[in-house]
Amino acid sequence: MKAISKSVPKRDHAAKISGSAVYVGDHPTDDLLFGRMLRSTKARARVLGVKLPVLPEGYFFIDKNDVPGDNEVHIILDDNPVFVEEIAEHIGDVIGVLAGTDEREVNILLKQIEVDYEELEPVFDPRKSDVAFFDFGYEKGDAEKAFAEADKIYEEDFETGLQEHMYLETNGIIAEFKDGKMYVRGSLQCPYFVHRAVMKATGLSSENVSVTQDVIGGAFGGKEDFPSILGCQVAVAAYKTKKPVRVVFDRHEDIEGTSKRHPSFCNYKAAVKDGQVTALEIDVLYDAGAYATMSMVVLQRGIIGCGGVYNVPNLKVRGQARKTNTVPNGAFRGFGGPQVFFAIEMLMTHIAKDLQMDSVDFKLKHVAKHNDLTSTSGRFHFPVPIPAMVKDITEASGYYSKKEAYKNQSGRFRRGIGLAAVYHGAGFTGNGERDLIKAVVQLRKDRDDNVEILTAITEMGQGVNTAFIKIVAQELGLPPERVILVPPDTARVPDSGPTVASRSVMTVGELLRRAAIRLKAEWRDGEEQLIEEHYKHPEYMIPFEMPAFRGDAYPTYSWAVNAVEVEIDTYTGFIDILGAWGSFDAGTPIDENIVIGQMEGGFLQSIGYAMMEKMTADKGYIRNNNFSDYIIPTAVDVPNMQVKLHVEDFPLGPYGAKGAGELPHVGGAPAVAEAIQNALGVNLHKIPFLAEDVMDVLRRKGGI
Amino acid sequence: MVKGIIAKSLRDALELRKDSTFVPYIGGTDLMVEADENKSYLFLHQVPEMKNIAEDEEFIRFGAACTFTEIIKNPLSPMILKQACRQIGAPAVRNMGSIGGNIGNGSAKADSALICMVTDSKLRLASADSERIVPIKDFYLGRKKLNLNPDELIIEILMPKHGLENYYHEKVGARKALAISRVSFAGIMDIKNGVIQNNATAFGAVSDVIIRLDTIDNMLIGKTIEEAKKLRGDYIQAIGDAIVPTRGRVGIEYRKDVCINLLKSFLEVSGI
Repeated sequence: MKAISKSVPKRDHAAKISGSAVYVGDHPTDDLLFGRMLRSTKARARVLGVKLPVLPEGYFFIDKNDVPGDNEVHIILDDNPVFVEEIAEHIGDVIGVLAGTDEREVNILLKQIEVDYEELEPVFDPRKSDVAFFDFGYEKGDAEKAFAEADKIYEEDFETGLQEHMYLETNGIIAEFKDGKMYVRGSLQCPYFVHRAVMKATGLSSENVSVTQDVIGGAFGGKEDFPSILGCQVAVAAYKTKKPVRVVFDRHEDIEGTSKRHPSFCNYKAAVKDGQVTALEIDVLYDAGAYATMSMVVLQRGIIGCGGVYNVPNLKVRGQARKTNTVPNGAFRGFGGPQVFFAIEMLMTHIAKDLQMDSVDFKLKHVAKHNDLTSTSGRFHFPVPIPAMVKDITEASGYYSKKEAYKNQSGRFRRGIGLAAVYHGAGFTGNGERDLIKAVVQLRKDRDDNVEILTAITEMGQGVNTAFIKIVAQELGLPPERVILVPPDTARVPDSGPTVASRSVMTVGELLRRAAIRLKAEWRDGEEQLIEEHYKHPEYMIPFEMPAFRGDAYPTYSWAVNAVEVEIDTYTGFIDILGAWGSFDAGTPIDENIVIGQMEGGFLQSIGYAMMEKMTADKGYIRNNNFSDYIIPTAVDVPNMQVKLHVEDFPLGPYGAKGAGELPHVGGAPAVAEAIQNALGVNLHKIPFLAEDVMDVLRRKGGI
Repeated sequence: MVKGIIAKSLRDALELRKDSTFVPYIGGTDLMVEADENKSYLFLHQVPEMKNIAEDEEFIRFGAACTFTEIIKNPLSPMILKQACRQIGAPAVRNMGSIGGNIGNGSAKADSALICMVTDSKLRLASADSERIVPIKDFYLGRKKLNLNPDELIIEILMPKHGLENYYHEKVGARKALAISRVSFAGIMDIKNGVIQNNATAFGAVSDVIIRLDTIDNMLIGKTIEEAKKLRGDYIQAIGDAIVPTRGRVGIEYRKDVCINLLKSFLEVSGI
């Protein structure tokens, strides 16, 4: 382990543990207006009219007519309106905001508003939707030929469900319009996303909008695209009322009204010749929800990764994100990856079973190697450590002996073990960093020779502030307490891009390292100095061509191998996780404890995704909208979790670091699913797979 | 505004209870979640007469305000009750939540109430002017409907002392902690000299109230193990026919299957 990896207390630790950290809901509420959303109660309906009660002084209703700029939230297609323009597209679509001085009174008045709807036919099943927001495709090799020459062809369908982020702190924003300037603050991952969205909705110029991050109580992607929507709504309310306006959701509203992981429906066809998968034809369908928001990028990552960690020479891939009249789905840790990695990993186990091979051995026969072509005909420019990690994990988990031992079981409890090998592309897809983000960082030294880090990157519990401080302090030879880092404000920090895509440490951290090296070289005691560093694109990268999906999709890859052992109670269907083993390669950890913590948390989230977390929308209405009905795992559910780090240095990341945050939320689910299918002796095609699904299988089989 | 009064004695509590707008509140682990600003609460956690755990010839007597943690720690508590209480919520919930509140909340998912049902416990109910003892089975009238007058409080739970040694209990939740029962089952089999003295079962989280089918359970009472084995099929069939799960978040078929599986498991470990 390198010196930089030695763990230190997190910079944000003391404030959060002591309770002194200020979240958006903690700001004083004197002189501000409390806002509550007027939401559509129909899944699809023309809003004919809104009948307000008599509003007392100090109470305001804000809707589409009050938007000073464009009634569009800038995300990608900008199709999500700030407020419903004419047709409400999902239950919860925001028609307006009611804001007033007394929170209780606002709630009472809100219930008195009558909305006149003309109901329209909604669509809830993306397979039946006529509207594809995005429809991509690409090919590699000659899939048609490979299928024609195959010994055997396999075809299977896979489904994954919604997943809710369940960050502890709900979404919340405060906006104030003062002296011609709009000040927005709140729980948000990407200050510049909100900045640009608010500019468009208010028509204000860049210098007249400032967006500040408050302390964030968890995000997982749930505060990546969504705060742009809420930010615009609250900013417009502040613009109209000329008062600071605060909207902080309660749990029900947060679950019902904010983004989730895209449900998926995938069709996979595999051509097998001489025991080797020679071609895959894959059709990916993601349920985007009512508006396109982030679906384009989520879908891209999904179809790039849909072949897994394997070198399959011939590929034919199509991917669509279709519209349904449900809450728009958005960013979530793993970002389009978990759905397809579940599918490919399950398919590989099913083919292996049919060929009477052990699934791990079968997978290892196909794993891509250093310099092999990627799915998009880019290159794996760096070593692929999967075989070594598989060896580690099969040994740590006792995989082979357990798999053998669990072949013939009887009695109430049945055990199974599964193993998945996955990657997560580190950083933005394709040329995004070079063409779109163009990240900038600054280091500002004051006269006392303290150094402030200026980036747009946000701390949301993942530990990035601590990592940045360690990097800068190390290069400057300064004690960490001389390095200052406060939550970003777009009026003060350059645009170093959003806090997403597992890019912060790898990309922005490296810019800071280079800035620190320069500052050290140019250091002048007692003088103010400002160092600015700009993104440089890796020269080795094969340019990524769109819409052909050709070239290097990512500068490098983070790798994971996960094994999970389950014990299933055939009387109750209860799935008990006996053990979870993970080897993760996120390059050099900038702080070992932080990275291990990330891996453990994400791994648990991924396990929950497979066998516990089920969100059902009943005609577009989400019923399990609280912590007692939407079940996420606790530490008690996976007490035996063993996580280790495998380090393949990335030469372009700081000290060899690459993407970490999303990596653990990819492989846990397929490992659980394979363990369940081995315990039950059936093939699994769907997650979440819960106790009730176990009992369904047993009922169909007439017991096992 | 929320109004609350803290009762310091049983007499106090029953006098205050005359005003039926006050909702009885012990640990608040359910009521706090509702957070209804328009309600008024009668706090009972400091009523000394409701905090005792004692025994007499026939019963172990639990004050209604005893918390689950207090019950778990008390040597007088029967093992079956301890086991059920250990699986409630998480430590914070067990430190605050009470057996009286669990029963009075009227939920068919109540984990300690399940044990009171299978043991045929009795409830001591009191108002300022009167007192009565009601078998818990007669206390539950329907979904959230209790045999409790507006001026009455549950004061004490009387759990039979004897014959609880051979018990069976399983709670099926969606996870291992902080779980609400999706199905729960408790059974008691008291066999002396090869003859079944008592057979009692209770099924939680299946219907509007906890199911206690004592007339069917009685089929096996007075029978030898061998006789009971012969009746096993009819008995399971009769219970199965009588269990009609209500619609809920957890599927009807699932809950029924689990009930029968656990009943079979209970019979199996009892040697039947």
